[in-house]
Amino acid sequence: MTIDPPSDPLLRLRSVTVAFGGLVALAGVDLDVVQGERLAVLGPNGAGKTTLFNAVAGDIRPTGGTVEIRGVDCTLLPSRRRPTLGLARTYQKTRLFAGLSVEDNLYLAQCGKEGSHFKLWRHGREAFWRERARVAAGRVWLSDQFDVLVGDLSHGQQRQLEVGMAVVTQPDVMMLDEPASGLSRGERERLTELLTDLAAEETLLLIEHDMDVALKVAERVVVMADGEVVASGTPDEIRGDPLVQEIYLGRQR
Amino acid sequence: MSKRTDRKRWLSILGILLGFALIAAACGSDDDGDDEVVAEEEAPAEEEAPAEEEAPAEEEAPAEEEAPAEEEAPAEEEAPPEEETAGDNEVRLGIMAECEGAFGGFHEDITAGAVLGMINGAGATSNSTTTALDGFSGASVAGTPINLVGIGCGDDTPDRAIQEIRTLVEQDGANVIIGPLSGDEGIAIANYAKDHPEVTFLDGSSGAQDTTLSVQAPNYFRWHADGAQWNAGIGDILHNTAGWDTAAVIADDYGFGWTSAAGFTAEFCAVGGDVVQQVFPPLGTTDYSSFVAQLPNPDEVDGYFWVIGGTGTNASLEAFLNAKGDLTGDQHAGNLFFSPALAAALGTDIAGAYVGGFANLPGDISTPEIDAYLASADAAWETLAGGLSGNEPAEPSLAAGFGFMYAYYSASAAFTEALAAVDGDLSDNHAALRAEMSTMTWEGPFGDISLDENRQAIADTSVQQLVLDENEEVISKTVVIVPAVDQTFGGTFSEETDPPERDNVSCEERDLPWVGNAIPVVDGVPQN
Amino acid sequence: MTGRPSTGTMVISAVVALLVLLPAFGSDFFIDFVMTRTMMLGLAASTIVFLSAYGGMVSLAQWLIFGVSGFMIGNAVAEAGHGLKLGWNPWVAVIFALGIATAVAFVLGALSARTIGIYYLMLTLTYAVIGFLFFGQVTTFSGFGGVTGLDPPGFFLDHPKRLYYAGVVLSVIAYVTFRAVARTSFGIALQGIRDDPVRMSSLGFNVPMHRMLAFTLAGFVAAIAGVLNVWWNGQIDPTSISIGPTLDLLIIAVIGGIAHLEGAWLGAFVFVAANNYLRDLPLVDNIGITEARFNTVIGALVLLIMVLSPDGLMGIIEKVRAAGRRVLGGPTGPTTAAPEPRLRRTSS
Repeated sequence: MTIDPPSDPLLRLRSVTVAFGGLVALAGVDLDVVQGERLAVLGPNGAGKTTLFNAVAGDIRPTGGTVEIRGVDCTLLPSRRRPTLGLARTYQKTRLFAGLSVEDNLYLAQCGKEGSHFKLWRHGREAFWRERARVAAGRVWLSDQFDVLVGDLSHGQQRQLEVGMAVVTQPDVMMLDEPASGLSRGERERLTELLTDLAAEETLLLIEHDMDVALKVAERVVVMADGEVVASGTPDEIRGDPLVQEIYLGRQR
Repeated sequence: MSKRTDRKRWLSILGILLGFALIAAACGSDDDGDDEVVAEEEAPAEEEAPAEEEAPAEEEAPAEEEAPAEEEAPAEEEAPPEEETAGDNEVRLGIMAECEGAFGGFHEDITAGAVLGMINGAGATSNSTTTALDGFSGASVAGTPINLVGIGCGDDTPDRAIQEIRTLVEQDGANVIIGPLSGDEGIAIANYAKDHPEVTFLDGSSGAQDTTLSVQAPNYFRWHADGAQWNAGIGDILHNTAGWDTAAVIADDYGFGWTSAAGFTAEFCAVGGDVVQQVFPPLGTTDYSSFVAQLPNPDEVDGYFWVIGGTGTNASLEAFLNAKGDLTGDQHAGNLFFSPALAAALGTDIAGAYVGGFANLPGDISTPEIDAYLASADAAWETLAGGLSGNEPAEPSLAAGFGFMYAYYSASAAFTEALAAVDGDLSDNHAALRAEMSTMTWEGPFGDISLDENRQAIADTSVQQLVLDENEEVISKTVVIVPAVDQTFGGTFSEETDPPERDNVSCEERDLPWVGNAIPVVDGVPQN
Repeated sequence: MTGRPSTGTMVISAVVALLVLLPAFGSDFFIDFVMTRTMMLGLAASTIVFLSAYGGMVSLAQWLIFGVSGFMIGNAVAEAGHGLKLGWNPWVAVIFALGIATAVAFVLGALSARTIGIYYLMLTLTYAVIGFLFFGQVTTFSGFGGVTGLDPPGFFLDHPKRLYYAGVVLSVIAYVTFRAVARTSFGIALQGIRDDPVRMSSLGFNVPMHRMLAFTLAGFVAAIAGVLNVWWNGQIDPTSISIGPTLDLLIIAVIGGIAHLEGAWLGAFVFVAANNYLRDLPLVDNIGITEARFNTVIGALVLLIMVLSPDGLMGIIEKVRAAGRRVLGGPTGPTTAAPEPRLRRTSS
């Protein structure tokens, strides 16, 4: 993995616009994220946070603007091209494979990034991936549920696995959409620990309503409202920004 | 999900079993003789699948026990058919009927035809006074009993026909089959017959030409004319009496349509006419306007010959009415689908049209033999719920006077007559019986029928005309009877020619053996 | 969990052993007709189950692929009648038929690769209807009369038991293959697509490609069943692949349990047995059930099974096993005991 100079952002968004019919969900967002940055995206419901993630991850196609990952314009590339560019995302509403075990879920996450999708036989890296799946399961506290069908997991465990699905592939850019929702207080603390312990070169984008988690993990915070970025700064700056307090923190607290 | 490690183990188990299966497959086929095991031991068969312990056990066991009960033959129940033939001393009759599909309404009719043959020819009595489906009892010819082992339930598809025939032959042990009803079924069963030389097949009413002309199963006998033969006589009349020199043909695009159209075309061309255009709408067409548009206009051709069946008959003629002008009797003719009922929808202008024949002769013809045949049907049952009466109870003679029941009756009656002639001898794969049927002439109520070298009927057929009766209603009147029509149309069709299809209809002049021999019919009385 | 075959595996092995030994004590009709047909229909239905259980695709086109293969055999080997009349060696015809049918499956699979759920069902239904009309109306290949008088290769000619064993062997191979495929990267990914195609895409998988390849694999197996069917039936015509038989195959899969591969063969056996033996039951005539009403009976049977267990007979079996486990205690008790009562029954 090469480390780009900080001036060359890993992720570059230029006036990204997403409109669903007449409803403008993203109104020209510009955003640069450099390698190793920990960025939290805050904002009230309907601010466009998840839409921003979808546009970056390729789950929806922007109606305007460009998305570049490592200088590659992938605005129009389908979502399946993202993992090889080093991107991994999780979903706010759990999207796991309920009919497969925790192990197979984590296995598939690696398959997807590394290829060998159509193999009808065992291959050399299978054992390595299985082992990495076991390690990742441990990191999200699911070692005991390694063989359990995901459909049989509790909601909290599924949220843990959702994070695990991103962690296991060791992506360059990890995009977590409300990873702490549905977790107990203790689990949130462990999640915070997990995220702060990530390797320094890993880049993290985080949507999170829980300020304790978000502001502890993030180095930089972007606040969105009505599809636009309205503020950007360090956690402390954001805490003190009156506009932010009015539109977001004020309502939350 | 986590049993991957089991896989090696059970793969190896299955692998061993596979090897076993292959070995068994190699030698398992020839040991039929070892299979003489009593019925109870068949119960394990049901374990194939866990969980239906109840259902199949109950289904299978009675089936196995009943079959032998119906058969009186001693100790033969498990033996394969091949081994039965030597000691055959009874006829186990299977009737291949038609309980579903487009012709399902004639299930009763055709079964009754086969049963009536047994009643008239083998001294049987019907088991019911209102239906033939309950079968018959007490049939025997020259000391050889005839038992009904089953009535097959076709749906006019060959696939189903084969499955039903296999059930009748391989499960119920039938050694004589009467049926099936429709053309494609007939071809399939004739092919099946080739692989089952121990069974004698008597075609029911199926009209495809290939069944006998090209399949040529030596144990398959058809005691009625095929779909092409049914149209004999009409081309001659249209050219020489109605004065058509050119004709256009519109026919259903499937086996019977091609065959029927080919019969018309062969004769019309043989006597000097010319078919200038052929149109083949697919079966099931509802809007015929685009096909009618392909036909020449009324001033460009002398007449049109229609071979469109089912609901298409009306729909296609109406399309013509809309696109090309009046439907006049002098410019239109059709095969057996052209019925007086058309006038109800299309007006009485259609009167005058000539119509091709069917397996029997039309109802306006009356001879002592025909009257006796119809009376025998009325004596056998009080009522039959046949297809002509909309499956409501009606006089049995109504059904008996129609081609479906009569065709099955022909097969059944000719069979009993032949069996009597050989004194009930069924030995050597029914050799004597088959030889007799190949050479005899069956004097049926609607005319004499004999078989050609392909065991195909040489039979009389008729041409009718739609006419107005005194009440100004359109009825059907027989014009001529064409005697001794054979399948080949004077060599137009042979084993070498492809079966009639839309592309391979030949139109050339040639001599037909029956042209000039037609017997005029005046007010239902043949003038011979 | 390791090193010891599961009870399910042992039951299946026992069933296979029984199938192998069956001709020693079953009647000719039972083997040559009922069981041979069970194997063919089971093989075809297993492709529906494979696509549905592992891929989340309920396909009505499997019977079409089955039919395409049969028609290609017919066109290739026939020397007279309708169709191309190529008159080829029957084994060459097999390669030809499997090739064409698999190619058709590939194309159809590609066309429907982006369709899901009820739309997938409708699209594959459309394939089935088009296929029926195609072979009915394009007389180059068949016409409504169908292709008739087809003999199997000499090895099977007049050896119906060999055809039965071919059905058993191919069924076992297909079963083992499908099970094994489910544990490969490909199979696990297919199950992932079944559960959440959007997530699979964002993990980097080419979802349409996967679905297309799964459909092609299933089509290949259906084509094999189609070859067996033509050898067994001696003919094929468009009504063989019309909407009725197409739905029958789905019914077979549903009876057996559309989530269980084994259910395909179980459903096929129940279907064929009901078709052949129901009419012989005493008294059924008295309640108006004759052969003409078979469809009503099978419909009622499907309804009953679905009410008792949406997962078909295999679902009922699992419920019974689970109940037995609760009653008897211990996971192995009921499952090893289950086959025994039936074995005992046979000797009584």
